[in-house]
Amino acid sequence: MTEHRPAPAPVAALPPSEAQTVILAQQGAEDALDELARSCRQQAYVFALQLTGHPDDALDVAQDAMVRFFRSLSRFDPSRPVRPWLLRIVRNLVRDRARRMRVRRTESLEPADDALRFEPKDPTPDPEAQTARRELQTLLWSCLRELPPRYREVLVLRDYQDLAYAEIASTLKIPRGTVMSRLHRARRLLRDVVRRRQHNTGEVRDD
Amino acid sequence: MTDRCPNAFEETQISGHLDGELTQAAEQKVRIHLEDCGHCRALLDELRTMREATMTTEFSKPDDSQWDERPRGGASLLARGAGWIFAVVWAVAIAVYALWQFWQGSANLVERLLVFGGLSAVALLFVSVLLDRLSSARTDPYREVEK
Repeated sequence: MTEHRPAPAPVAALPPSEAQTVILAQQGAEDALDELARSCRQQAYVFALQLTGHPDDALDVAQDAMVRFFRSLSRFDPSRPVRPWLLRIVRNLVRDRARRMRVRRTESLEPADDALRFEPKDPTPDPEAQTARRELQTLLWSCLRELPPRYREVLVLRDYQDLAYAEIASTLKIPRGTVMSRLHRARRLLRDVVRRRQHNTGEVRDD
Repeated sequence: MTDRCPNAFEETQISGHLDGELTQAAEQKVRIHLEDCGHCRALLDELRTMREATMTTEFSKPDDSQWDERPRGGASLLARGAGWIFAVVWAVAIAVYALWQFWQGSANLVERLLVFGGLSAVALLFVSVLLDRLSSARTDPYREVEK
């Protein structure tokens, strides 16, 4: 009797590396282009939201960024990481938009409250600690708007986007040493704004 | 009360230390300083608390339905470009032929001048807009976007 051996499980296709995806996209492969669009547009949106504070503005900027991204994709060097390049496009668009809005905008520039999502990424099991963390996250998000753009950019890239100093330097086209000094200045400014708000609202600090 | 390190330590190193971005020698220097400086330890704690909060912040994202369709690939763009060229050539040929027929027709001189004057004005407006567009495309700050 013949022994029936189970057919070997199909080997799961490994996800192609970013460089391979970019090369395929540059050659016009629709799957690769779709994959790039899917992975990049959310990154572009979140970064634009962190810089502008407004979901509608962020979506507009991210849409424009994706158009520019695909328009210049053929000139992109696939051996380099996509993220700093994409974030640089977004940052340039946000600056450009801010320049135009400075003339035209009249409504409040307070950040949108519904931009934050309090879901599972925070592993803290203690409800009180969770509440305190959420309050601090909301406060920081709100205070971020008071920072001048050059400080907000570097702080968002490091503390929200988790980029290394070298990647931030590449994104902002500044030396690595400047990244560290500007980032420190940004953090101190943010801390001062947080303290001022806490003082004004009579909140008591934990530490 | 001053808000700076009483020992005049280079404070930017505190951020470098927090982010793990210092060289071994600089890292050692910061560690030694932190052992003796309560001010910088307090600053480090504050910055660490803030950074932990920002790094765990999640943001709402739009649905897939809210995104515009991705710009199509090279073949599609080529076909669209060729289509536009053919359409423009066809429109120009038709317009020139129609004008020629009109000029040869029974309209008197005044009617001819009125029609040609109006069309010339439209053509001039079109050319001026086209020149503006070309000029702004040449000075587009993202033309040589970071590769």
